[in-house]
Amino acid sequence: MDLNRLAVRARLRSPWESIDLGVALARRQWWPLFVVWLLPAALVFGATSVWLWDSPSLAIFLVWWLKPVYDRLPLFIASRTLFGESVSVAGALRQFPRQNLRDWFAWLTWRRLSPTRAFDMPVTLLEQSSGAARSARINVLHRKHASAATWLTVTGAHVEMFLSLALMALIYLFIPEQVEIDWLPFLASGELWLQWALNGLYLLVMAAVAPFYIVSGFALYIGRRIELEAWDIEIQFRNLRQRHQRTEKQSARTVVAQLLLLCVLGLATMAPSGSVRAEAPRTPEAARESVDQILSGDDFHRREKVDGWRLKDTEKQEDEFPEWMINFIEWLESLGQDDDREDEPSSYGSLGPLIGGLIELLLWGGAIALVLYLLWQFRDPLRQGLRLRRRPKAPPKAAPETLFGLDVRRSSLPADVCAEVLRLWRAGDQRGGLGLLYRATLSHLIERYQFEFGDHLTESECAQLVSLRQQPADGGADEDMRPVSGTLATFVQNLTAAWQQIAYAHRAPASARLEQLCGQWQEVFADAH
Amino acid sequence: MLDTTYNVETPEGIDLRAQAAGPVPRILAFAVDVFYRSLVLTGLGIALAFADRAGMGIWLVCSFLLEWFYPVYFEVMRGGQTPGKKAFGLMVVNDNLTPISWGASLLRNLLRFADFLPFAYAAGVISMTLNRNFQRLGDMAAGTLVVYREAEHRQTSLPDVAPLAPPRGLQLQDQLAVISLTERHGELSDARQRELADLLQPVTGKSDRAALNYLRAVGNWLLGGK
Repeated sequence: MDLNRLAVRARLRSPWESIDLGVALARRQWWPLFVVWLLPAALVFGATSVWLWDSPSLAIFLVWWLKPVYDRLPLFIASRTLFGESVSVAGALRQFPRQNLRDWFAWLTWRRLSPTRAFDMPVTLLEQSSGAARSARINVLHRKHASAATWLTVTGAHVEMFLSLALMALIYLFIPEQVEIDWLPFLASGELWLQWALNGLYLLVMAAVAPFYIVSGFALYIGRRIELEAWDIEIQFRNLRQRHQRTEKQSARTVVAQLLLLCVLGLATMAPSGSVRAEAPRTPEAARESVDQILSGDDFHRREKVDGWRLKDTEKQEDEFPEWMINFIEWLESLGQDDDREDEPSSYGSLGPLIGGLIELLLWGGAIALVLYLLWQFRDPLRQGLRLRRRPKAPPKAAPETLFGLDVRRSSLPADVCAEVLRLWRAGDQRGGLGLLYRATLSHLIERYQFEFGDHLTESECAQLVSLRQQPADGGADEDMRPVSGTLATFVQNLTAAWQQIAYAHRAPASARLEQLCGQWQEVFADAH
Repeated sequence: MLDTTYNVETPEGIDLRAQAAGPVPRILAFAVDVFYRSLVLTGLGIALAFADRAGMGIWLVCSFLLEWFYPVYFEVMRGGQTPGKKAFGLMVVNDNLTPISWGASLLRNLLRFADFLPFAYAAGVISMTLNRNFQRLGDMAAGTLVVYREAEHRQTSLPDVAPLAPPRGLQLQDQLAVISLTERHGELSDARQRELADLLQPVTGKSDRAALNYLRAVGNWLLGGK
């Protein structure tokens, strides 16, 4: 028994799953199993048809009773193919006498009606045990699987019966309507040939179902053995051992090279290894402390913040109808009554005015909603007609905090920008000085002129945006934005150019130019201070 | 390797698997359902016998509803399990292993008519037996499948051994095998367990009782023992 050649996956299965596996196994090689079962059975059938032609019921009973005899060959084939051996039909048929030698009498007498036949058969046939050993073995096997094995037999018997009926029904369905036979007397007449035909059908159905029954019982047996003997573990352990031995061989070859490498590495790491060790905690207590510290840190915890609505424990304030609702209903009633003609008797009783009022309210509500909807739908033409200005749709975005990596928040600027710029410039930090001036300009542009400089803009594009707003448009657009004076636009252009020179080309402008820019800055943002 | 496992790979590359259920447990589950249904119908028949012909009419309507919509109700509202399927741990799912929907359940149950032909569900039984995933005709049409509902892992007592870290190079399957050996310590015979542990002698460098104890310790460690 070489478990590595097992044709099914070895794993723990419930009894039902084992039976399903048997069905799948039998399906794969149904044809040889069917033939091997049918040939001996057909021989017996033929023999009984000669000797017992007058009593067909007894004949089919005999064929049925001898089932354990035919069951052995399919079981033989299934047990061989489970371990990867293929058995031909002829080869299996040659085995017929040998397979039937053991325990044939027991199987044909007191064990014939055993409800766990398919499950117990492998113990006889494959383990070849008998007597006390056999019964002890069966006891162990039965402990968990007996009920499934019994139900398998019950199901098999019923399937045989129902399939026979179905086959008869199928034949009946295919008889044309024109053939008019009075069926009941015909079936009840008990003609011999008719009974033999039915026997033949039953034999075919038995032969068709038998492979599934036998192999399912066998799979149940195999499933129980996988569980009892841990075949799954054994297969996996053997794999692991093989893999281990393979890698051992490979590593033996490379071990010399590794030793050399180790020597070199050892020499190289000798010196720094001391300093590394010095940082490690010295005592186990210290180590435990640092481990605890790390374990209690955020890396080993998952913090979750959960938001949601929850019921508060507030006292119920009122159980009665609120005042306004009563008033509302009364108002509704009065509404309905106003419309009622006084001479017309109300057929709805007191509810009439209420319903009338409700409907009136709904109608009014519908009309108002319609008007609102129309106003909303045609808001653009209406606005144009009334010459109303369109409001900016999106709410103003939050001012950016950094642009081109520069902090442009107002708070980051010194109180007197120009003095700070000049101080930095004279201290030799030309880049810092001009940068501060540029930063301050951007910050003021954002804050006081509501420019929206996106992250995607370059410095030149920002400058272009500023000059675009230079002449206020004569139309309705952008009127709420503060227009930019010509001097500011020119200043921004110049400053940007100077900043680009120093930022990217590292070419500082002349000191006079910087002082001129500072002067201009104070001029254009004069009202800032 | 032959098995009855049904695999689905999700678009995210995750393998879902379930065990498809074959004809025998399904036939038995169906029998249990038939038993429950006939019990209800018998009780109803006795109760309605007093209403004479009207009772007969009501009983017929009830039997119609019970025949066609009893499985649909349970499959959709009770996690794919009719009482019979529940008794055998089965459940109906869509063939991508998602919970069954109304449409699929209706279709597979209305097509029981096709499975019934020519008599006594012969077509259904044959189709279930021959199909790779044990689907009957209605299942194939509706794109559904009957699978085993995975039983909850029962708590097993572990051997009383101090855990040890596993040796290097254990793959997932190996680790599962070691865990299985540890969990089944009470079910397998002692001799067999030592035999299994001996198989790994080249890896563990131990043999017999010591090897078994070592593997149990590793199993305890893999199961999270401290």
